[in-house]
Formats: sequence, structure tokens, C-alpha cells
Amino acid sequence: MSLFEAAFGFGLVSMSVVALAAVGFTMQFGITNMINLAYGEVMISSAYVAYYVNRAGVSIWIGMIVGAVFGAVFSFLLNRIVYTPFQRKGTSLLGMVIVSLAVSLMIANLLLPLVTYNSVSYQEPSGGLIRVAGVVLTTNQILIIVLAVLVMLAIHGLLRYTRLGKAMRATAANPTLAQNCGIATERVVDVVWLITGALCGLAGVVAALNSDSFAVANGAGFLITALAAAVLGGAGQPYGAMIGAVIIGMVTELSASAWSPEYKEVVAFGILVLVMVLRPQGLLAKRGALAAAG
Amino acid sequence: MSTIQSQTEKGEKVSTFQARRSLGRAGLSTLAILILAACGGSSSTGGGLGSGDLLVGVIAPFTGADAGLGPAYYSACLAAAPSINSNGGVGGRQVKCQQFDTRGEPADAVPAANSMVAGHSNLMAVVGCTSDEAATVAPIIDRAHIPMFCMTGQSEFNKTALKYFHRLVPADVFDAYAMVGSALYGPDHTPYKRAALVFGNDIGSQAFVQPATNAFTKLGGTIAINQPITLGASSYRTEVSAMLATHPDVIFTEALGSAGTYLGEVKTLNGGKMIPFIGTSATIDPTWFQQVKSAIGVNDLVANYHGVDLGYSFSGPAYAEFLTNLNAASSQFADAPKYKQRGSTLHLYDGIIMTALAMVAANSSDPKVYNSKIKEIANGVSGATVVNTYKDGVAALKAGKAIRFVGAGGENNFDQYNNSVSGYILVKYDAEGNEVKVAQLTPDQTKSISAAGGI
Repeated sequence: MSLFEAAFGFGLVSMSVVALAAVGFTMQFGITNMINLAYGEVMISSAYVAYYVNRAGVSIWIGMIVGAVFGAVFSFLLNRIVYTPFQRKGTSLLGMVIVSLAVSLMIANLLLPLVTYNSVSYQEPSGGLIRVAGVVLTTNQILIIVLAVLVMLAIHGLLRYTRLGKAMRATAANPTLAQNCGIATERVVDVVWLITGALCGLAGVVAALNSDSFAVANGAGFLITALAAAVLGGAGQPYGAMIGAVIIGMVTELSASAWSPEYKEVVAFGILVLVMVLRPQGLLAKRGALAAAG
Repeated sequence: MSTIQSQTEKGEKVSTFQARRSLGRAGLSTLAILILAACGGSSSTGGGLGSGDLLVGVIAPFTGADAGLGPAYYSACLAAAPSINSNGGVGGRQVKCQQFDTRGEPADAVPAANSMVAGHSNLMAVVGCTSDEAATVAPIIDRAHIPMFCMTGQSEFNKTALKYFHRLVPADVFDAYAMVGSALYGPDHTPYKRAALVFGNDIGSQAFVQPATNAFTKLGGTIAINQPITLGASSYRTEVSAMLATHPDVIFTEALGSAGTYLGEVKTLNGGKMIPFIGTSATIDPTWFQQVKSAIGVNDLVANYHGVDLGYSFSGPAYAEFLTNLNAASSQFADAPKYKQRGSTLHLYDGIIMTALAMVAANSSDPKVYNSKIKEIANGVSGATVVNTYKDGVAALKAGKAIRFVGAGGENNFDQYNNSVSGYILVKYDAEGNEVKVAQLTPDQTKSISAAGGI
């Protein structure tokens, strides 16, 4: 078995996890104009909700749905109770980033006494190893890849072929104009928080399942990876985030196989910096799904 | 402060300019006296133990990747405080514990240390300061003249010039040698000859790599792979695949916070079969046990884990008091009883008791006076009475005797740099997470490993 082939397989899993997280994050920003730095903490909170469901004897795949629902409701409430009042007061984008950072720290510190600092694991058999050429994956990892592909297709379908998707794109492009055209933009924003929150929750559970153990401290790491993929692809662009996830996921694994693993994140973030220098708007800015229609 | 306030209030009633000027002078004089007193350390100048509560600062990671470390040290303080407080305190002063979170990052540790020393004039000792932050916080604490007990194995402290620094655990190099000893001389396996080094890429974990490599290779072993891993990553599958491809028969490891993920993936990618692994003394920890148990199952953990630790007896009057207080501390911190066999918890408990005894012995709450007494009480002087508890220590001191404190962690022998070194035992876990001694390295074995490693 070639290590490079094995790393390619692991890269498929990593990029699937990153894509789930990054697409939700970038949609949140693209449509609601909110850089939500509490995203990673909502992910880890959802992962813990699924953990407690799983610990009660329920399959983690059911727990994943519960985690997604929790993420949706949590994100929706976060926006309604915290972010929207600030935005109505005209808080600047930078101010909102600071607010979300504060929320992130609050969630992390409120979570700590509840779940403690101990690492935990889902009780779910990883399934047997499946080998295809040099690629070795567990059944769960293959299911994660399939799940990510289905979710990405669903997001594509939502944005391209539904009225809601068109309303989202219109709101993203010009909320005032969209409102004048009769689109209930506030309701659209609510729905966006629910959908992206569900993605966030789902991504949290998947990321925790992908890792053999997780702890409350992992929230920050989840955010950084999602943020990197989103920025790499072009902030606010779901397809860009998907491409960003492919690059981040693949590069980290392949560079670990080719070079010292301690530098795998250095390589991935080095590419991010390079792209930012050469193309500051990201890979797909202005040409993605949330760009102005037409 | 209240003096200044009352003077000012009186002054407001007399509205002449001169009266105000006189009062201003008086106020300035009072202020100057108060500042001078404060510079002297408030009720801590030379003789007398002063009044008011005393504080033990626990400066360590309580959040972040190494969040499991801080609670072990905080538990030590929670156990030590009642030993002192229920026996008259330090000259009547009660000891309190306070956490100062470094997040395991030097950048966060510096403000935490500055805030601790600047905001608390009643600090009697500081415990914690792991390898994550020791290099940055120890000089700050030293400048404030506060005795500290650091849980770092970094070699830069082997011959430190910091007078207030104390280390009750050996340098990492000795931990690394003990791991090599476990691989080569462990009683329950044939000698391991091909090792994978899997250590976190943090400063503390990497300190083990070179000494372990030197000793192991010079004693006939082979390093199959040296794999520094990024702590906190969500997966190490590629790293694990690379490691498995080198076919090691044992893994040397310290990757706190990521051990569960890494070892879980070893089991998965190795077809459900674990490779034996040897952990540093930091892996004798309930958080680590829980994490790895969740990832690979308790049976594989018990069957494949080998650890090294300092030779604790977990018995005797000092340990009994420690255990009683630790269990009682669960009302303040529910996890405290979990640290009943955590070496660092035992040692820091001893460090705090020794500091309190040093204050009593010196009859001073001025660290510049009692700091040197700590070593005297730990090592003992000729003819010193051995005591195991704070109560006995105070009684002996009041009887005019010199004392040597042998605490829950056993004897201490500080060298001229305030480093205390003791011997190692080889251990395993039982299914409940208790440490089980399996062997002790003989002097000859220790000597041969040290010679091979370069010390």
C-alpha cells in the first residue's frame, strides 16, 4: 500500500468534513453579512448534544440528526437574541466580529463546566476496513463522504432551483433591492440561520465522529479550518468553500505523507496565504452561487 | 486607604486654603507611608506572619489543548489548604487557592502571571507553570520574589539562576530514560527493539525525543520513526499509516490531548490490533486514561500501556491526610478525588505544605526571608526531625526542633538549583485507572541508560 494513496483516501474524508463546516459558515456570511466566529463553538456544542444522545444508547447517526437540529435552533436563537439587536443598532462589521468572538468565548466557557475538559468518544463501531487499491477507509468514513456529497448536492439544488434559493441569492446580492422587490428578507435571514445552523451542527457531529475522541477545546480548531476553506474559496461563496475544503483537506493529508506531519497545517495555510496574496478576493469571488443573479 | 479617605473627609469641613494645604501635606505623608508599607509587602516585612488570608496561585492551562493539567494542580492546592487551615493556618492566616489560566500559551500566560503578582500582595507561593508557559512565567514570578513549584521538565531549568524556582519532579531527560528502561527491561514483555517516537510538537513533549533516541539507540534499539504530531488535530490517519509502515514493536508517546485520537486510529488502521505503547509520567493522569479508554477500550489500554512514574508509595500518614483532604475537596471541585495517584498533585501538595512550614520556621511572611527555608525543610539538616504533616511540622518547630518534611510524594532532595531528583518505577493501569507498580529500575539499569543517554 502506497502511503500517498492512503493519504489521498484520508484526504477525501478530511475534505468532506471541512466542506460541511465551511459551506455553512460561508453561506452565513454571504447572506446575512455576519462573520460568525462562534461557529466552531456551536459545532462542538452540537457534537456534545449528539454525544449525550449516543451515550443514552441511541445510534450516532440518529444523534447526528439531533445535533443538526440543535445547531439550527441554537444558531437561530443566537442571531435573534444577540446578533440582530446589534445589527439593528448599526454596529459595524468589525464590531459584529468582536461580538461574535465574545459569544464564542462565552459559549466555550459555559460549556466547560457542563461537559468538563475530558475528551470523549462516540460509542459507534467504526465498521470494517474497506480497501480499494491503496485507499483504506472504514465504513463510517465512507458514509461521511457520501453524506457530504449529498449535502453539497442539496445545497446546490436549494440555491439554484428553488424560490427560497433565489430569494437567498437576491438577499445576498442586495438586501434593500430584494426587500423592495417583495422578498421578506428578514424571514429569508431566519431561514438561512436555521439551514446554516443545521449544517454547522451536522459538521460538528461529523468532525467529532471522524476524530476518535474530542474535547471542548476542539471548537477553535473546527472554526479555523472552516474559516480557512471559506476564505480560500472566496468569502460568502458556497462553491468556493467546497473548493477550499478540497484544497485544505487534500493538502493537509498529502503533505503529511510527503513531508513531516508537523508541517501539514503550515503547508495548508501557506497555500491560503499565497492565494490571498495573488487573489485577495478568494478563488471564486463574484462568480459563485451567491453572486448577483443574472 | 481608609485613612486617606477619612482625612480628606475631615478636610472638606474646613474650607480655608491653609487648612486644605496642611491637610494636603498630611494626606501626602500618609499616602507616602502607605506606599512605603506596600512596597515592603504589606504586613510581611521581616518578622511576624502578618494577618489576612494567604493565597496560593495555581498558574496553569485550564482551557485549551492542555486543559487537563490545571485541574490536577488546583486539586493539590485544595487538598493542602485544609491541612494548613485546620491546624491553625500560617500563624492564624488561612490559605486560599486561585486559578490563573494560561491556556497553555505563553502569550496568554504572561498577562496571567503579571495580573497574579501585581494584583495579589498576599501570594505565599505559586504552583503549576508547566512546560507550556514556565519559560515565560517563571522569570516574572521570580522577580516578584514568590516561591514557585513548577511542573516542567525542561532542561533549561536544570541549572536555573531563578532563586524562587523549585522543581519537585526530575527533568524530562530522566522521564525519557525511564521510558527506554521500560522498553528494554520491563518485566512483562520481551525487550522492545524497534520504537516509534510519537510526541506532540509542543516544547514540553519534544524534550523527550533526543534523550530517548540517544539512550535507546546506544543500547541496541532502533528508532523506526520519529513523528512529531500537531496537537489538537481532528485526525492523524496519514501519520498513523506512516508510522505503521515502519513496523515498530512499541510506541513511545506523550501527546496530551490527542492521545485518544492517535491511538484510536492506530487500532483502527492496524486491523483492530494495538501496538504496545509507553507513556511519560504525564500520562499517569485520569484525564489521559479516560481519553484513551474511550478511544481504544479499557482492555486494550490495560494490556498495552506501560508507563513510568516516580516511586510513590501511596501510603503513610502524609498520603493519608492528602487523600482525606482530596476527597473532601470534591465539594469545591468534583474531579479532585480523581487525582489521588497523580504525581504532580502529590508533589505540589507537598510544595505548598513545605512553604507554609517554611513561613512558620522563619516566622515571616516575607518570601525573601522564608524562601531559603523551603529547601532546608525539604532536605532536612543534620539531626532534623522527620515530619509528615503540617500539624506535626508546626508542633516540632514550636518545640524548637529542626524538621525535614517527607510528604505525600515522598522524600525530596533539592540540589543547588532547587531541582529535586528521585528514582523511577515502571507502572501500568488497572481497569479502574489506578496506577499499578510492575517493577523498579535497578541502579545498574538506571546507570547504563543514563550513561547511554549522555548523563
